[in-house]
Amino acid sequence: MADIAVQNLHKEFGLGADKVIALENVNLEISGHAFVSIVGASGCGKSTLLNILSGIDVPTSGRVSITQDGKAARAGYVFQAARLLPWRSVMDNMLFVQKDKSEATRQRCQRYLEMVQLGDKGNKYPGELSGGMQQRVGIARAFSTEPDVLFMDEPFSHLDAITARSLRAELHTIWAETGKTVVFVTHDVGEAVELSNRILVFAKGGRLADDINLTLPFPRDVADADVALKKADVFRTFENIGALAVS
Amino acid sequence: MATTLDSPPKPPVRTSEEDLVRAAKRKNRITTWGWRLAGYVFFLGVWELASGNLMDERLLPGPSTVFETFGRLWASGDVPGAFATTLTRIAIGFTIAFFVGIGVGVLMQNRFLNGFFRDAVTIGVTTPGLIWALLTAIIFGNRTAGPIIAIVLTTFAIITVNVSEGIKSIPKDLNDMAKSFDVGVVKRNRHIVLPHLAPFTFTAVRFGFSIAWKVTVLTEVFAASKGIGFEMRTATQLFRLDEFLTWILAFYFVALFLDKVVLESIERRFFSWRGELKS
Amino acid sequence: MSVLNEAERTPDSSFAAQEQPTVLAKAWRRLTRSSLTGRILFPITCLVFWLLAIKIVTTIWPFAVDVLPTPGQVFGFMWNEIRGDTLAPHNMYETFGISLQRLAIGMVIAMIIGTIIGIAMGLSKAVDAFFNDWVVAILAMPNLAWALFCSLAFGFGDLGPIITVVLTGVPFVIINVREGVRNTPADLFDMARAFDVPRKRVIRQVLIPSLMPFLFAAARYAFALGWKGLVVAEVFGGQDGAGWTIKFWYDAHRAYGVVGYALLFVIFALVFEKFMFDQLSKKLFKWRPAVDAEVVEERFDGTAKAAVASAAAASTATGAALGSITLATEGPPADQPAQPHSDETIRRDNDHG
Repeated sequence: MADIAVQNLHKEFGLGADKVIALENVNLEISGHAFVSIVGASGCGKSTLLNILSGIDVPTSGRVSITQDGKAARAGYVFQAARLLPWRSVMDNMLFVQKDKSEATRQRCQRYLEMVQLGDKGNKYPGELSGGMQQRVGIARAFSTEPDVLFMDEPFSHLDAITARSLRAELHTIWAETGKTVVFVTHDVGEAVELSNRILVFAKGGRLADDINLTLPFPRDVADADVALKKADVFRTFENIGALAVS
Repeated sequence: MATTLDSPPKPPVRTSEEDLVRAAKRKNRITTWGWRLAGYVFFLGVWELASGNLMDERLLPGPSTVFETFGRLWASGDVPGAFATTLTRIAIGFTIAFFVGIGVGVLMQNRFLNGFFRDAVTIGVTTPGLIWALLTAIIFGNRTAGPIIAIVLTTFAIITVNVSEGIKSIPKDLNDMAKSFDVGVVKRNRHIVLPHLAPFTFTAVRFGFSIAWKVTVLTEVFAASKGIGFEMRTATQLFRLDEFLTWILAFYFVALFLDKVVLESIERRFFSWRGELKS
Repeated sequence: MSVLNEAERTPDSSFAAQEQPTVLAKAWRRLTRSSLTGRILFPITCLVFWLLAIKIVTTIWPFAVDVLPTPGQVFGFMWNEIRGDTLAPHNMYETFGISLQRLAIGMVIAMIIGTIIGIAMGLSKAVDAFFNDWVVAILAMPNLAWALFCSLAFGFGDLGPIITVVLTGVPFVIINVREGVRNTPADLFDMARAFDVPRKRVIRQVLIPSLMPFLFAAARYAFALGWKGLVVAEVFGGQDGAGWTIKFWYDAHRAYGVVGYALLFVIFALVFEKFMFDQLSKKLFKWRPAVDAEVVEERFDGTAKAAVASAAAASTATGAALGSITLATEGPPADQPAQPHSDETIRRDNDHG
């Protein structure tokens, strides 16, 4: 469980007339056993925020700190596309991101593969797996490093509905069992409502517009009336702040 | 936690940013050109120095020697004649190869004929022009037919490949759409088929030309009494490397000029919509 | 191309019953439509043409008998060579061995030089500007020029042919390696950075494998173009080797020798190239999603596409079109779009996981 603190975060791209403000003065704090979803329309800075939090990108100004018990926290990352090394086997892909190659590590990786029901696919190459399977390997890979915080960038958006649904259930189970902090970017409000206990709503221009806490009990079923009502609530929030406006 | 909604502090003077960008771009351009120039200075310099110092200057004439020799040859009046001969041969050979290539390419759309010509094209693309040059030299000796045939055999294949590619990829859906609107054959060809084939044909011309001129010079080395290749052979036999280098470099620059300057600028003007150009 | 038109055979098509074309008719139809028939017919047609041409020419110019090679002479010659019975100083196997050796040495040198320069050019715009025009210049130079020059400068022996191979191959290697460096999979590097993977591991497991397809293509071009340059170099400046032997027969005015030997060497080079590179490709790229089934037409398309694609990749018409029909491998650009920080453009099939 990590502590994430963001202060006055500002991110711009380009110069002069071409300047684009991706994130505008974002302040937020996340801690504890949280599953935080970041939602917003395309182009509102969700992925940029995630890139900065995970260290792939740097802010133009402002401060980001991600700590675990005062030390720098370790982070795992799940991408939209699985981003597996196509020339190495599944197990080698898992081992690629580990700190060492010991037998204990290997067994840990195997355990996480089994958690996503791919325990027997360790020797296959990514090219032999379907898109859904590759994404599951990506999830297993991220969890297997046992990070303090997990960043997920629209991990299910490229999968079909049925696969996504079962993967969401798996994700929730792992999150509940392992007690990590998860920061989850999505454009799907239903997904956010189903999985998270806190929703950050971003508007166009990189503005953090709203911060919603969800207290409905887990596990949540989209068919459930309470859940559906909450989803409608969130949508109304969107409309109120104009976050739904298409560019 | 709700966000603080005050707007971020504005940077001091906006306009200087634009100037920075422009200055950076200018610097970039100058650097690139600077390095490019440096490359020329370096390689030409090394060449000039190597001649005489690293290798006997009779074996490796430097750029200045080559330049001098060219002046001498030009003054003696040999140059235009040789160039004309060679260019004429290229023109004839390439034209024939072009039509043969297109013909075969069109014919190959039929399954049976595709099988028939496949190996011919493969052989055409793989066999070095040298083989054809030698063969036609033996069979035809010094007659004009020899080199022309060699050029055709070496060049037609790459034209066929490009044309075939173009025909195979004619957008059937566009054509069908036009048919459904009762657009006549002539109009369809003019507006759909021909514009689609144009870039492929052009590519075929570019590649074909580049192959044709090389083979022409090669055949002239073996089987001609005039032309660039012949002059090169003479210079070689007389062990006059400076003349040899002069001839080949002179012609090489002409060919390079035709290819990169003429053809590429045509390509850029007419086919920029293809978006595939890499300079 | 159907000889038996069904409509003519059943004029009263008012009979609703479809009269089946006879087995013979169907077989004929399939035969005349199939591309395999065409393929077989071609060499037969060539042979016929050849014999006819000889007949015609010798009737007009009787003295041409000595000069024109007949199929019998050519095949007889080839058969003798294969058996090791030859008039030339070395037999076919020795000769090919010598040539192959020179080719190998030249290729290795070309790969080393080309890779170093190519990586430098890919990484630095300054280096790219420095070398680029010269790479283009060397690319466009006919290998004849190198061959003649080397034969004059280095005399007889191995050096001339080897240097010709190097000069012919280096620009291709440079261009391919440069492409490889420019097309490194940024998304995989980002992933490695996100997971704090140590730098050495990233270089070994991400960078080098991502360059492999380009290096492989570079090697293939170096080979295909190298042997053509080698033959020309040996014609002018050798005292042994395949090119020199062809010249030997040329000087002896034996056209069947020229044709036969050339055929032998071309076939040998093609088979060797295909064999070696296909085996290598299987081993190096076994992680590629299956591209096994080589339908006959697809192979030709592959060749065509390779010729066109190789030309585009070499960024000038001249050198690239010099005739590599070898399949350029499909490199990473097709599989992994080089998008810096977004996965928007993946193209994977999404079945049920």
